[in-house]
Amino acid sequence: MSSGPLRSAAPAAMRLLGGRIPYVEGPLKVTGRAEYTDDLARPGMLVGKLLRSPWPHARIRSIDVREARGMPGVFAVLTGDRYPTPFGVLPITRDETALAVEKVRYIGDIVAAVAAQDELTAERALATIRVDAEPLPEYTDPRVGLRPVDEPIHRRGLNGTNIQKEVRQHFGDVDAAFAQAPVTVRVHGSFAGVTHAFTEPLVTLAEATPNGRLTVWSATQVPHYLHRTLSEVLGIPMHRIRVIKPEVGGGFGGKSDPLPHEIVCAALAIESGRPVKMLLDREEVFYTNHGRHPTENDVRIAFDAEGRLLGYDIEAVIDGGAWSSFGTVTTYYNGVLAMGPYRVPNFRYVGHRVYTNKPPSGAMRAHGGTNIRYSVEVAFDEAAEQLGIDPFELRARNALPPNSDTINQFHISSTSFLRCLEAVRERSGWASKFRQLPYGKGIGLGCGFYISGSNSPIHFTPKMPQSTVHLKADMDGGITVHSMQADIGQGSNTLLAAIVAEVLGVDLDRVHVHPVDSDVSPVDLGSYSSRVTFMMGNAARQAAEAMRARLVRAAAELLGAPAERIEVGHERFFWPEDPARSVSFLEALHKAMEAEGALQSSGSFTSKPMGGSFKGARAGTAPAYSFAAYVAEVEVDVETGVYRPTHIYAAFDCGRPLNRLAVEGQIEGSIHMGLGQFMGETMNYRGARLLNPALLDYKIPMPEQMPEIDVLLVGDDDPDGPFGAKEAGEGPLVATLPAMANALYDAVGVRFYRLPVTPDVVWKGIQGRRAAARRWKGN
Amino acid sequence: MPGARRIRFGLNGHPVEVTAPPERILLDLLRDDLRLTGSKRGCDLGTCGCCTVLVDGRPTLSCLTLVHLVEGREVMTIEGIASPHELHPVQRAFVEHGATQCGFCTPGFILSAVALLRENPQPTRAQIVRAISGNLCRCTGYTKIVEAIEAASRAGGAG
Amino acid sequence: MHLDPFELHRPATVEETVALARELAGRFDYLAGGTDLLANYKMHLNAKPHLIALDRLAPLRERRLDRIGAMVRLAELERDGAIRSAYPALAEAVDQVATPLVRASATVGGNLLVDTRCFFFNQSYFWRASLGFCLKADGDRCHVVPQKERCYATFSGDLAPALLVLDAEVEIVGPDGRRRIPLASLYDEGGDGIRRHRLAPGEFLAAVTLPEAARRRSSTYAKLRVRPSFDFPELGVAVACRWAGDRLEHLAVATGGLETYPRRWDDVTAPFVGRRASSELFREVGAAIRPRVRPVHNTFLPPDYRKQMTELFVRRALERLAPTSGAAG
Ligand SMILES: Cc1cc2nc3c(=O)[nH]c(=O)nc-3n(C[C@H](O)[C@H](O)[C@H](O)COP(=O)(O)OP(=O)(O)OC[C@H]3O[C@@H](n4cnc5c(N)ncnc54)[C@H](O)[C@@H]3O)c2cc1C
Ligand code: SF4
Ligand code: FES
Ligand code: FES
Repeated sequence: MSSGPLRSAAPAAMRLLGGRIPYVEGPLKVTGRAEYTDDLARPGMLVGKLLRSPWPHARIRSIDVREARGMPGVFAVLTGDRYPTPFGVLPITRDETALAVEKVRYIGDIVAAVAAQDELTAERALATIRVDAEPLPEYTDPRVGLRPVDEPIHRRGLNGTNIQKEVRQHFGDVDAAFAQAPVTVRVHGSFAGVTHAFTEPLVTLAEATPNGRLTVWSATQVPHYLHRTLSEVLGIPMHRIRVIKPEVGGGFGGKSDPLPHEIVCAALAIESGRPVKMLLDREEVFYTNHGRHPTENDVRIAFDAEGRLLGYDIEAVIDGGAWSSFGTVTTYYNGVLAMGPYRVPNFRYVGHRVYTNKPPSGAMRAHGGTNIRYSVEVAFDEAAEQLGIDPFELRARNALPPNSDTINQFHISSTSFLRCLEAVRERSGWASKFRQLPYGKGIGLGCGFYISGSNSPIHFTPKMPQSTVHLKADMDGGITVHSMQADIGQGSNTLLAAIVAEVLGVDLDRVHVHPVDSDVSPVDLGSYSSRVTFMMGNAARQAAEAMRARLVRAAAELLGAPAERIEVGHERFFWPEDPARSVSFLEALHKAMEAEGALQSSGSFTSKPMGGSFKGARAGTAPAYSFAAYVAEVEVDVETGVYRPTHIYAAFDCGRPLNRLAVEGQIEGSIHMGLGQFMGETMNYRGARLLNPALLDYKIPMPEQMPEIDVLLVGDDDPDGPFGAKEAGEGPLVATLPAMANALYDAVGVRFYRLPVTPDVVWKGIQGRRAAARRWKGN
Repeated sequence: MPGARRIRFGLNGHPVEVTAPPERILLDLLRDDLRLTGSKRGCDLGTCGCCTVLVDGRPTLSCLTLVHLVEGREVMTIEGIASPHELHPVQRAFVEHGATQCGFCTPGFILSAVALLRENPQPTRAQIVRAISGNLCRCTGYTKIVEAIEAASRAGGAG
Repeated sequence: MHLDPFELHRPATVEETVALARELAGRFDYLAGGTDLLANYKMHLNAKPHLIALDRLAPLRERRLDRIGAMVRLAELERDGAIRSAYPALAEAVDQVATPLVRASATVGGNLLVDTRCFFFNQSYFWRASLGFCLKADGDRCHVVPQKERCYATFSGDLAPALLVLDAEVEIVGPDGRRRIPLASLYDEGGDGIRRHRLAPGEFLAAVTLPEAARRRSSTYAKLRVRPSFDFPELGVAVACRWAGDRLEHLAVATGGLETYPRRWDDVTAPFVGRRASSELFREVGAAIRPRVRPVHNTFLPPDYRKQMTELFVRRALERLAPTSGAAG
C-alpha cells in the first residue's frame, strides 16, 4: 500500500466533514458512564503508593524496607535497585529510572513503592521505610548550572556542568545584518514554569497474569511509548505486554512521556502477582510535572527602514528540572519555532537546557513554541512603534508565502497567514481602536506559528509509518476502527469515525472506534506535536478508501455497471447513468464478503524525508504548519492593576477544519490555557521547593475571567493534509499571550517581560511609568 | 471498621442503606463502595468541582462531605440525572454544543447546571457563569459550556 | 486521600453538646460545614480523635434579620432577600466566599472561625515534613518570620470584616453557660495564627446577632484576590457609615486577609467622624489605615501590594457609600 501524503483535495461536497460533529462518546461522558482508569477495578486489586524524596538532591546510602515487607496486608515493596534500567521518552537521553537509583534529584522523586490491601496500610508501610541519604548541593538556578559545578545532577551533563543540551545554530550572517540595521529591538523574556493541570490525575492499573502477560491500563496520551518503555525497563518483550488506554481526562503533553509511576505500578503488579492500582494525588501530579519550562530568553530582531526583517539573534536558558524528558527537542524548538510566520533572512540561536533540582519540565501544549513566540511578538510590537508602522502592516510585510522554504529549510506548504491578518483586523475593528481607546483600555495583536505533526518521530525506524489505521466490516454492517491514536478529549475518535463514514458514505453510527488496546490497535504514535489529525487522518482516509474500492467493485457487480463509474451516495452506491437503481451499503458489503468474509483494510501515514543535513536539521520539520493572528482587547483598573481580557478575536489557519465544533473547542481551550500562563499560573518555587502543589494556588482562570471569543477559521486547504486539514490543537495557544501583552501596552503604556502578569505586577508597572512622569494617552 | 454505622439516605431516587465509619467521605463511598464512578476525583480538596453531587437539590462537593452527615438526605449523582432511555436536556445540550471534551469535569458541570435551571429556568449569562464558578475545566475555556447551558435553558432544560 | 479515623458525635440538643464538650475536652473539634476542617484533616493538620457535629442543633439554624444562627449555610444567606438588603456588606462578602459548591455546605460560624492560612501550613504532611514542621502544626519554628514564638498565619475569612463593621455580636455557648460578646472580642489581639480566637475550651458559636442600627447604615465589602472565585481573600475591606446630609455621622472600617485576625480600625477612623464628604476625606481615611496593617509574605500576592491596596480599597468603599448629593469632588 502506498504511503506518504496523499496530495488529493477534498471532495466538493462532504456530508459530515467540515460540519459540527458532536463527539461520538459524548453521551457516555455526560452520563458519567465513560470509563477512566480510576473507574476500573480488578478482582483482588491492591493499592500502590509511593515514597517520595524530601530532599532536592541527595545520595542514597541505604533504604531499609524490612519492616514494611513484614507488615500484614503488604504484598510488595520496591526500591530502585530492582528495575534500574534507565529510560526516557527520547532514546538519546535516557536518564530517568522508575525509582531513584543512587541519587534523588528533586523533592518528590520516587524512592520506594508499596502495594498493599488498602490505602491506609500502604501509607503505614511507607512510613516505616527508613532512607539514609547524604544531602548534596542543590542547584535551582539554571544559570549556575551553565558552569562546572561540584556535584553535577547527572553524569551526562556537559563537561561537569548541569547543561543537558546545548544548541548553536547560525544561518546567514547575523552580525552583518545587525551592523547595517537601522532599527533593532530587544526583549528579555522571563517565564515562570507552568503545568498542564489536567483535571484527571495520573493513574495506572496493572495486572500480571500467570500466562506470562502483563496488562496495563493507564491515563496516557502516547500508549505506544509507554508500551515500549515498559518492555525495556521490565525486561518483558512487547508482545507479552498489553497496554490499554481508557478514557483520558486531558493531557496537554503531561501524559506523553512514559512516567515512572506507570512503570512502578506495573512492577508492583509483577512482584505481588495481584492487580495494582496507583492513583496519584494532586500534589504528586504537580511533582510529576513535565510542564512548560521556566525559561529566560533574549531576543534581538533587526529591521530595515521599511520594516523588513533582517535577522534574529536569540538566546535561551531553559530550566529543565531533574530529567531530560523531551528537553533536547525543547531546546531546539525555543529557537527554531521563531522561523515562522515571517521570512527570517539571518538567524542565530544559542540555547541551553540545564538540569536543576526541580520536578522535570517537558512538553506542554505548544511545546517549545510559546515562550519564544511571546518575546518575538512583543518585539514586533515594539518595532512597529519605533518604525511608525501599524503592527498589522509590519507583519504582513514579512509574511512567508505559501510553498516556500525557511532559511533552515522548513517547507511551508500552505499558509493563510495574510488572510488571518486581514480577517482579524476587520473583525476586531482594529483601525478605529488601536491607540485610540481611552487610557486603561487596550487592543493588541499577536501572531502564531506551529508544527502540524513532528516529522522527526521517536520511532523504531523513520521508515515505519507514524500512523496506521485498520478497519473491519462484518455482516452486521458495523465498521470497527482500530488505531493506537489517543483521544484525550480533543476529539480524535470522532474525527476517525467521521472520516471513515464520510469516505464510505455511511451514517456515523455504523462506525465504532475501538478503545486503544495494543493487542488489537495498530501502532500510531499518539497525541503529541499536533500530529493526530494530519497523520491519523491521512491513514484513516487511506484505509477507508481501500475498503470503499472493494465495496464499489461489489456494487458494480450487482448493478452490472463499470466499477470506475460507481458513485458513493448516502448509505448506497449508484451508477449516475441510472440513478434510480442503486445498491445499499449492506447489499454491497454482503456481496463483497462472499469473496473474503469480513472485510478488512489498512491505511498508514509515513512522512517523507525533509529538512537540511546540518546538525539538528530535523527539529521543527513538519509536513505542514499552522498560522494564527489574534487580537486581544483588555480593560485595566489602573488603580489596582486588576485587568480582564474582554474580547479575543482569533483568526486561525488549520487548513480545512474537519470538525468545526472540535476546532473551535481547541481554540477556545487554548486561549484559556494561554490566558492562564499570562495572567496567573505559575509553578511557584522557593529554591527547590514548590510552594503551590495544589489547584487552589495554581491560578487556572475561572469562567468569569474569560473574554468573548470570536473564532475565525480562514485556512486554505493544505495540499498534504487529510481533506486539506492541518493542526488546531496547540498552535491556537501561542498567539494569545503576546496579544494580551501588546493589548496591555496599548492600555497603559507598560511592557511586561515577565510572566505571569499578576495584578500587582501591572500596578507596579503603572506606578513606575507615573514615577518617571512618562505620560500615556494623556495620563 | 471501628465506629461504623448503618446510614440510610436517598440515592438517585432510591433509598439506600450503607455501613460506613464516621471518617468515610461521600465521594469515596460512591466511587469505591457503591461503584458509582461518574463522580470524579480531581483534587480531593474542594478545589476542582469534579466530585459535585446534589444534596437535597443543591450542588455540593462530595470530597468534603461525610457520609454520616447525609443521613436522611437525598443525594443525586450524575448517574441519576438521565432517564434510562433519554438524556436530560442539559446533557443533550452538552453533547450537541461541544461542552464536553475530555469529559472529566463534565458530570460536575452538569449537576451545577441542572441545579441552576431548577432554581432559575431562565438564567442570564452572568448567572450561569456564577453558577459554574466552582467547577474547573481545563479543556473548553468554558465558552461552550455556557452556550450549552443557555441552549438547555431555551429548550426548557429544568428537566 | 483519606481521613484518619475519628469518632463522630451528633448531639441533638445544646445541653448534650455542652456535656460532650466537657467530656472530650481538648480532644475534639466542632464540625460545621466541614469545608475548612475536613480539607485540613485530609492534610493531617492538627486532626483530633473526636468531632462534634453541630448540624442537628435546630436553634443554630435559625435565620432572622437580627439573629443568624451559626449553622446557617452561606448558600441560604446568599438567597435571603431580606438579609441581603438589610446588610449589603454581609451580602457582598457572602457572595465572594470560595465557590457556590463550597457555599452550599459552608456555615456562618465556620467562616468566622475558619483556620488561619499560610503557604507553609496548608500543605500535605509530606510537604511539611520535607521542609521541617512549623509552629502551627507539629513543629517549633516559623518559616515566614524566622523565630520560635509567634505564628503569622493569615486570617482569611470573608464574613468577619463585614460583620465587624455592622457591630455584630456573637452568642457563645459552653460549659459555663451562654454569653454574648461583640464579634471584635472574639478575635484576640494578643493572640496569633495559632491562638486565633477567644473561645474558652468547649465553647461554640451559636449565633451572630445584629443590632437594629446596623440596618440604617450603608455598607460594602471589597475583596482582593487573583481569581473571582475559589480564592481566599488577599485583602478584605468592609466599610459601614451613616451620613447626615453630607456629614459623616458614623464610620466603621474593618480589614481581613492581612494579619492573624480581622481588625476594626475605630481608633483610626474616630477622628474623621463629623467631617463632610469629600474625596480628600476618603483618601485620608485610607491613608491613615494603610501604615497600620502588617501583612506578611505567606499568601499568593506580595504584602507591599496588599498594603497599598488597603488604602485604595478603603477609599473606594467610601466613595461608593458617599451620600448621593454633596459628595463633591
Ligand atoms: C476551595 C476553597 C475555597 C475557599 N475560599 C474561601 C474564601 O474565599 N473565603 C472564605 O472566607 N473562606 C473560604 N474557604 C474556607 C471555608 O470554606 C469557609 O470559610 C467556610 O465558611 C467555613 O465554614 P464551614 O462551615 O465549612 O466550617 P468548618 O470547616 O466546619 O469549620 C471551620 C472551623 O471552625 C470551627 N467551627 C465551625 N463552626 C463552629 C461553631 N459554631 N462554633 C465553634 N467552632 C466552630 C471548626 O471547628 C473549624 O475549626 C474556602 C474553602 C475551600 C475548600
Ligand atoms: S506563619 Fe510561621 S508558624 Fe504560622 S503557619 Fe506560617 S510558617 Fe507556620
Ligand atoms: S475532587 Fe472534590 S473538588 Fe476536586
Ligand atoms: S472537558 Fe476536560 S476538564 Fe472540562
